[in-house]
Amino acid sequence: MLKPDQTAAVDPADPALGLISWQRVALLLAVGLTAVLLPLALAGKDYFWVNILTYTYLFAGLAVAWNIIAGFGGQFSLGHGVFFAIGAYTTARLLLDWQISPWIGVLPGAIACAVIGPLVFLPTFRLKGSFFAIATLAFNEVGFVFANYLDSVTGGPRGLQVPFRAGLIRMTFSDPRAYALVMFAYLATALVVVIVLMRSRLGYYLLAVREDEDAARAAGISVRRVKIRATALSASLTALGGGLFAMYVRTIDPLTLFSLPDVGVKFALLSLIGGIGTITGPVLGAFLIIPLESYFRATLGGAGPGVHLILVGLFMLLAALFMRRGVAGAIDHLWQYWQHRRRR
Amino acid sequence: MQLNRILGIALAAPALAFSLVAAAQTLRIGAINPYSGPLALYGDEVARGYQVAVDEKNAKGGVLGRKVELIRGDAGNPQQGIAAVDQLVTRDKVDLFIGTYISAVSNAASDAAQRYGKIYWDTNALAADLTERALPNFIRVGPYAPTFAEMSVRTIAELIAPALGKETRDLSLWVEHEDSIYGKSIGDAQKKLLEARGVKALTQGAHNFRAADLTDVVLRTKRANPDVWVITGYVPDINLLLKTAREQGLKPPVILTVGTGDTQETLDALGAEFLEGVMVVSYPRPDISDQFGPGASAYLANYRKTYNRDPIAPQSLTAYTGMKILLETVEAAGSTEVDKVRAAAARLDKPFNSYPSGAGVKFDDKFQNARPGVTVIQWQGGKQITVFPEQARAAGVALKNTPRKQ
Amino acid sequence: MDNVLHILVVGLLVGGIYGLVAIGLNLIFGVIRIVNFAHGELVMLGMYGAYLCYVTLGLDPYLSVLLVVPAMFVVGVVVHRLILQPLHAESSMQIFATFGLLILFQNVVLALTRGEGYSVPSKLAGLTIAVGDIRVTVSRLVIFAAVTLAAIALHLFLQRTLIGKSIRAVTQDRQAAQLMGINVERTFVITFGIGSALAGLAGVLLAPIYTLAPGIGGNFVLAAFAVVVLGGLGSVAGAYFGGLIVGLVEAFAGFYIDPELKQAIWFLIFLAVLVIRPTGLFGQVGAEEIGFREQG
Repeated sequence: MLKPDQTAAVDPADPALGLISWQRVALLLAVGLTAVLLPLALAGKDYFWVNILTYTYLFAGLAVAWNIIAGFGGQFSLGHGVFFAIGAYTTARLLLDWQISPWIGVLPGAIACAVIGPLVFLPTFRLKGSFFAIATLAFNEVGFVFANYLDSVTGGPRGLQVPFRAGLIRMTFSDPRAYALVMFAYLATALVVVIVLMRSRLGYYLLAVREDEDAARAAGISVRRVKIRATALSASLTALGGGLFAMYVRTIDPLTLFSLPDVGVKFALLSLIGGIGTITGPVLGAFLIIPLESYFRATLGGAGPGVHLILVGLFMLLAALFMRRGVAGAIDHLWQYWQHRRRR
Repeated sequence: MQLNRILGIALAAPALAFSLVAAAQTLRIGAINPYSGPLALYGDEVARGYQVAVDEKNAKGGVLGRKVELIRGDAGNPQQGIAAVDQLVTRDKVDLFIGTYISAVSNAASDAAQRYGKIYWDTNALAADLTERALPNFIRVGPYAPTFAEMSVRTIAELIAPALGKETRDLSLWVEHEDSIYGKSIGDAQKKLLEARGVKALTQGAHNFRAADLTDVVLRTKRANPDVWVITGYVPDINLLLKTAREQGLKPPVILTVGTGDTQETLDALGAEFLEGVMVVSYPRPDISDQFGPGASAYLANYRKTYNRDPIAPQSLTAYTGMKILLETVEAAGSTEVDKVRAAAARLDKPFNSYPSGAGVKFDDKFQNARPGVTVIQWQGGKQITVFPEQARAAGVALKNTPRKQ
Repeated sequence: MDNVLHILVVGLLVGGIYGLVAIGLNLIFGVIRIVNFAHGELVMLGMYGAYLCYVTLGLDPYLSVLLVVPAMFVVGVVVHRLILQPLHAESSMQIFATFGLLILFQNVVLALTRGEGYSVPSKLAGLTIAVGDIRVTVSRLVIFAAVTLAAIALHLFLQRTLIGKSIRAVTQDRQAAQLMGINVERTFVITFGIGSALAGLAGVLLAPIYTLAPGIGGNFVLAAFAVVVLGGLGSVAGAYFGGLIVGLVEAFAGFYIDPELKQAIWFLIFLAVLVIRPTGLFGQVGAEEIGFREQG
């Protein structure tokens, strides 16, 4: 448990978060978001880094969304790729077939997943830990097969391509920095949602359910309702990100969307290394992993087959061994150490 | 101390100036391919083909008086493709792009290249819609899915049907393909072309190339008992299918594979005896006659010298040819600008058998080369012997084991 | 009707393959509760180990089993000691680490081999035995025999030997086992080693069937996870019969419906079974409710 003078640490795994005033939270959020935006400002017209930041913002937002049900809810999902794909396909299809602006077009996918998510996860909720993880993996695989098979809906293995026609309404921009800002807005939205959630009663119940489901039920919390709502939130936010992804790459196919290492498992990896079950963790994880792996790919990608990924793998192992509670945990550790030294 | 500093700068300055000038002078080509991941072998092989062509050209003085430099950009999926383009343009300052073994990557990368106003010259990606979408900077010099489909259907009609003593439309066929965009686009095109020729007894089947077991596919095919078994796939699934067929006693009179099945990997897996008579529609091999593919043997020699081994897959010869044609076009255009290169490409008109892969060059209105090099080999005595088209066939070569001895 | 019998045989043999890969994972996943993403890569290393023995020593894979399996035991022990043991209090970090191992192993092999598709021949493996219309390859029969023997051997090991009993004790209740004086850490190391050795065994026996590629582990690992969960975490019988069931469903779905859909079909059935019986077919009731937190 945190000691009283540590309430400054923004670790919402502790209900003490509720003790921090709204003003303080808003301030921290503003500071945090500015810090996140700073690299983009610094990158200027270096589109190489702008591109990396665009993905970092997007995947940070996706990891934050994932973390709602996985980190705070304790349901370790490896099937979020399904929601991501639904968001991507719906947004692309609505634009291609009915010329619906993606600013609006991302919403139907998100709303659909708010329903589909709980529907699909509900039967498996009583599975915990690894059981649940493997079950959700199965969802991803089933999703992949059907996306490949249902030509008329998803374009089959060919997928969907959105031609480039610049225009704000079409969420298509000539300047790559505009995309970075869109993704940043997504990340900010996801963070605001999570902060509001974790300060609300639902968030409190969610943590209680994660800690001890039976005790929570005994205390009168409807475990089922809590999980449904958290899943709805998590799934819809993920679908939103999927829709934005579709508008950025403008070519989507089952192999890309259902890829476990690049999508479904990646959300988990980013949150894990950043610090699962914390607000900042997924963001930190994204800022660590994505620029690193992109940089390795850019500098060593041509060196020899697999060379740059050997380094990524080694880095992951070392990171796991030396930052056991993730980056957020490591920062927390340093903070406590500093506090301790200061008090001596 | 001061003197040393001054001397140091005085000596460094010209060197720096020289290197800056030299850098400005190299013609930089970004080669986007998967250099990691499951298709790394092919991405790497394709880039090797590029490099041999670049080295050759540089030995002759380069292009437009500039040395050519090849810079690799690793991309295994569309988002990496975009990142690779950003990287190659902003950091490595490439003048144009060449690629790409994966169609989805080519799609995203060429789109990104278009925004930077750079040519995207495709030598190996197969999906038809890459040229269908009529992107202004995209030019495909290599074969595409319809090319492979057409060649396989021609083989069936002109080579196989006569050997079996039947009319094409009376043949019974099983058209199998792996279920990603590569296999599906070829398989669907084959079906259409065969139906257009009046084939009635035709079944199409699909499988996942990573399946742990393909006995179901083999048994279904056995039940249909086709005259010709056509398979489009990658090395792992073609090997497994053929092995399983052998084990399960599936013995179609003719086996025709498309895209792969012509490398040492398949020979190692199945052995010369079983493979005898199996035909493969694939990229031309470097050991084709110089009459069919002028310069093929020179390419083989150069590859061996540079890499100390034989080419692993024939895709590299196609890549090499594609790069040669690119360098030629840039020279004719006098520039690397999109409009000028496009115009120069549109003017090219060389018949088949002008280039090492047996290709000619004549771009259609969508900038797809209408004369790409594709050949058909037949395994004979553990060797890949080119049997089709006729001009590619060496003197004295005849079909063996067709129909297959039961 | 004749077909049905044939598909039945095919299904059982494919099930044997899945079971053989799953049986090692079952120990690791079931006992130590590590979601070992790198299990497919351990199988892959076994395959390439067989290739290495063939290329350097000219050994038939059925002989290289004697070299590769102990080597994979050592690999497992080393991996556990260096990477997984330090993280045993952070099970989510363990998952991250196994994913790092996956990437590392795959790409080291890719870098060394460039991804060329190797084959490991075996004189015995390709032989076919025909029973009526049904043809069965020796390679798959050997796998079926191997998984059956391994399941029986493992079962006896867990029931009769002291180490086996300590493994079972730790699976049932980690803290109680510790209180009883069982060296939990040592048990884990041995378990992981055995799991890894079994993965190596699967790799060697599978080598004559497939064309080797650095990513080939991925072809089996998802199915293996599903088999383990379906069969019931920690249950040897579960991994064995679960594998057979999955193989049968896949074979029937592939032949009678569509080879393209067979994966999706058995995954759906897997999900259906989980919903009805979350412990899996042979698992201990309540085991499915041990989440990540209680494992630590």
